Amino acid sequence: MDMNGEYRIPAPRQRVWEALNDPETLGRCIPGCESIQKTSDTALSAVVQAKVGPVSARFTGDVTLEDIDPPNGYTIRGEGKGGVAGFAKGTARVALADDGDGTLLTYAVEAQVGGKLAQVGARLVAGTVRKMADEFFGTFTQIVGGAPQVQSQSQPAPAAEVAPAVPAPPAAKKSWASPLTIGILVIAAILVIYFLVT
Amino acid sequence: MYNFTYHRAGSVDAAAAKLAESGDAKLLAGGMTLLPTMKQRLAQPSDLIDLNEIAGLNGITVAGGTVTIGAMTRHADVAASAEVKQAIPALAKLAGLIGDPAVRNRGTIGGSIANNDPAADYPAAVVGLGATVVTNKREIAGDDFFTGMFETALDDGEIVTAVRFPVPQKAAYFKFPNPASRYAVVGVMVAKTAGGIRVAVTGAGPCVFRQPDMERALSGNFSADALSGISQKADGLNEDIHASAEYRASLVVVGAKRAVAEIA
Repeated sequence: MDMNGEYRIPAPRQRVWEALNDPETLGRCIPGCESIQKTSDTALSAVVQAKVGPVSARFTGDVTLEDIDPPNGYTIRGEGKGGVAGFAKGTARVALADDGDGTLLTYAVEAQVGGKLAQVGARLVAGTVRKMADEFFGTFTQIVGGAPQVQSQSQPAPAAEVAPAVPAPPAAKKSWASPLTIGILVIAAILVIYFLVT
Repeated sequence: MYNFTYHRAGSVDAAAAKLAESGDAKLLAGGMTLLPTMKQRLAQPSDLIDLNEIAGLNGITVAGGTVTIGAMTRHADVAASAEVKQAIPALAKLAGLIGDPAVRNRGTIGGSIANNDPAADYPAAVVGLGATVVTNKREIAGDDFFTGMFETALDDGEIVTAVRFPVPQKAAYFKFPNPASRYAVVGVMVAKTAGGIRVAVTGAGPCVFRQPDMERALSGNFSADALSGISQKADGLNEDIHASAEYRASLVVVGAKRAVAEIA
């Protein structure tokens, strides 16, 4: 599934960039995050207690940052494997640009879910990601920019065929968007869904 | 499965007390979502509090223009109820379209709405018919009950005891089911009630929602033609391998028209 969108954050670009690279800020914004730490300059590891409806699961998510270009953006990459259940992996390209006295954050996520995982969990992937992203941005905007100032628009992208015989679920679109953490969120959501079939 | 402590509650108060004292307890109604989730180890509650033996939570009464359905009433019982069929045929039809026979004979109305799966049928009935959800603490208007995907206005420890449906003048339910799971790809409840026209859509978005454009159009002219100029925005609707957001949006309009045509 592909997701694209943008989000306006009422804070200067440098400040948004710093927040996006600050594990403590991210930890406060990621729903259910119990701990998050940098394992190297380019890697983050988080323990998240994810609750979606009847599902309540704790998992560890690892993401790495690539193409780092401060304060303009980076690419986040994460992966999870579920053996016979399938696999989930994704990347998110995050870019920051000045927008008046605020910052315009645009993202492009490409996530792939394959195998039994995609068949069973596809129905809930997009909604789960969106919900977690909504919560993330609500908090992030409060911490970084003060008052919420949500002005976003996202574009649907055509769904991509990923796993053999299992098309990836296209993501929903709406007034939610994402920064760096969309990567973590996508991986988080995918891992939750992964638990659904394990 | 892994170990957990099973409690059979004898009353709603006892269930609520047990829920309050247990660290990570879950209420067990029909178990049609909870048990598969536990089996997959997606949830590992320490305690299960079974509501099945509580007297008074099960049953249907029709009186004074209101259909009251106990929270533990099975879908199959609502579908087969002569009283419901006479008072609100659309509600009996909706219950009969849920899942498969096994689900209908175990699943309950209270469990369904408390879970608030985005593709569940009952939320369309609760919102579309302007029902009231009764809990052990208070009454919650149907419009305020469903707050997001898998989220409701229920507090921690609050237990649904019944749902009260005011009998509408007319109502019809359209459902386009997923052919395998029978979950609603789109479900539309259209009702002509004392308080006006109500159109509620499930399956299409992350949570059941009303369609105000359609409600306005139908208020002036209650016919399928009145919906001809109305479109449902695809923005924010669900997408999966079964249906795109655009397809679901289109189904909302088609479904509303068919429901209206059935009763206009």
